[in-house]
Amino acid sequence: MTYYTVTGIIRSSTPVLLLAAIAGLLAGQMLNSEIERIITMPSLLILIPALIKIGGDTGSILAARLASAFHLGLESRIFRNPVMSNSLIGVTIVAMTALFSLSVIVWVVSFLLGHSVSFLVLLQICYIAGIIEIVIVFFFTITISSASHKYGLDPDDTVIPLIATLGDIVGVAGIIFALNILLVV
Amino acid sequence: MGTKNSDYGAEIPELIEDCFGEYASIKSIVNEALPFEIMATFGGVIAGIILSGMAEEIELIPGLIVIAPAVMGLRGNISCTLGSRLGSAIHLGLITKLERNPELINNISGSLLLSLFLSIFLGLMGHYITVALGLPSAGAVILTLIAVISGVLSGIILAIVAALLSVGMVKYGFDPDNIVTPAIATIGDIVAMLMLFLAAKVVLLI
Repeated sequence: MTYYTVTGIIRSSTPVLLLAAIAGLLAGQMLNSEIERIITMPSLLILIPALIKIGGDTGSILAARLASAFHLGLESRIFRNPVMSNSLIGVTIVAMTALFSLSVIVWVVSFLLGHSVSFLVLLQICYIAGIIEIVIVFFFTITISSASHKYGLDPDDTVIPLIATLGDIVGVAGIIFALNILLVV
Repeated sequence: MGTKNSDYGAEIPELIEDCFGEYASIKSIVNEALPFEIMATFGGVIAGIILSGMAEEIELIPGLIVIAPAVMGLRGNISCTLGSRLGSAIHLGLITKLERNPELINNISGSLLLSLFLSIFLGLMGHYITVALGLPSAGAVILTLIAVISGVLSGIILAIVAALLSVGMVKYGFDPDNIVTPAIATIGDIVAMLMLFLAAKVVLLI
């Protein structure tokens, strides 16, 4: 008998993956409803996969750190000790720096591929969509981590897949919101 | 004694917080997480360049953009958990070589079967949700075919990369947990988008 079995792997992964698939389709439907506008701006297509991932990635780092803090028994003091505030500030710095780098990289790549786009527009899309995304994702990360700890579920198993998928949905919504504000396409 | 115990009781949380001050300093979080996030951003931009090259296919196959984020998301979820399980299996001493290893075979077949089942689900759901919203769709068969081709092909490629990378990393003295999951997450986006492009091309040829 092996330690890992095919049925064991399938049984433990399927529920979370089904949820992630449905949530991914939701993000896809949002893109689909605006596809005519999005497709007229190639730089936007270059931007989307990386931009929607930043919230999920930094949210997952925050979730993993909070999970470790809960496992170490800090729940009663979680809002008063440096773990919470420093983690939050740390991942916010990471997200803000990544958003800036992303707009620079996409601007350079667009220039090399011959798509004309202003750097300021890319920077505005990145920060409007990115800030909406991380505020919502971080809020849910803290809420779901605390709730899942309270109800005795291991936050390591529950929070990260949920947060990564939530990041995709909120990221797409943030991009569409930014397009509506900036009226670039 | 009683007072001493309660003194310790008051000191221990403070001690923990002192240690956590080091563990959770803003500088250490940024130093450790930022390089990976920048690397992931580069990977995401490469996936984005492929997506921007798919503009024609996106217009020709209505519904393709609906399944695209879900195909990418599933790829990340399935392959990263495979990488993380292989890391654990190596730490448990279950995987030491690549040939004729039942633990490795079970892990890879498990994640490939998951890729197959979920791709079928994704294609069908993608079609029916799009139709239910009154939007045009290329059809259940075409979307399912695209999801299965891209899901299974990228699953096979990433399973091979994950197995080679985790066994190789141990040989050179690295902890696979620190390297395989971020590497697979970055390569995974690029491979999944490339296979999605390939699947769309194949379906258009039929």
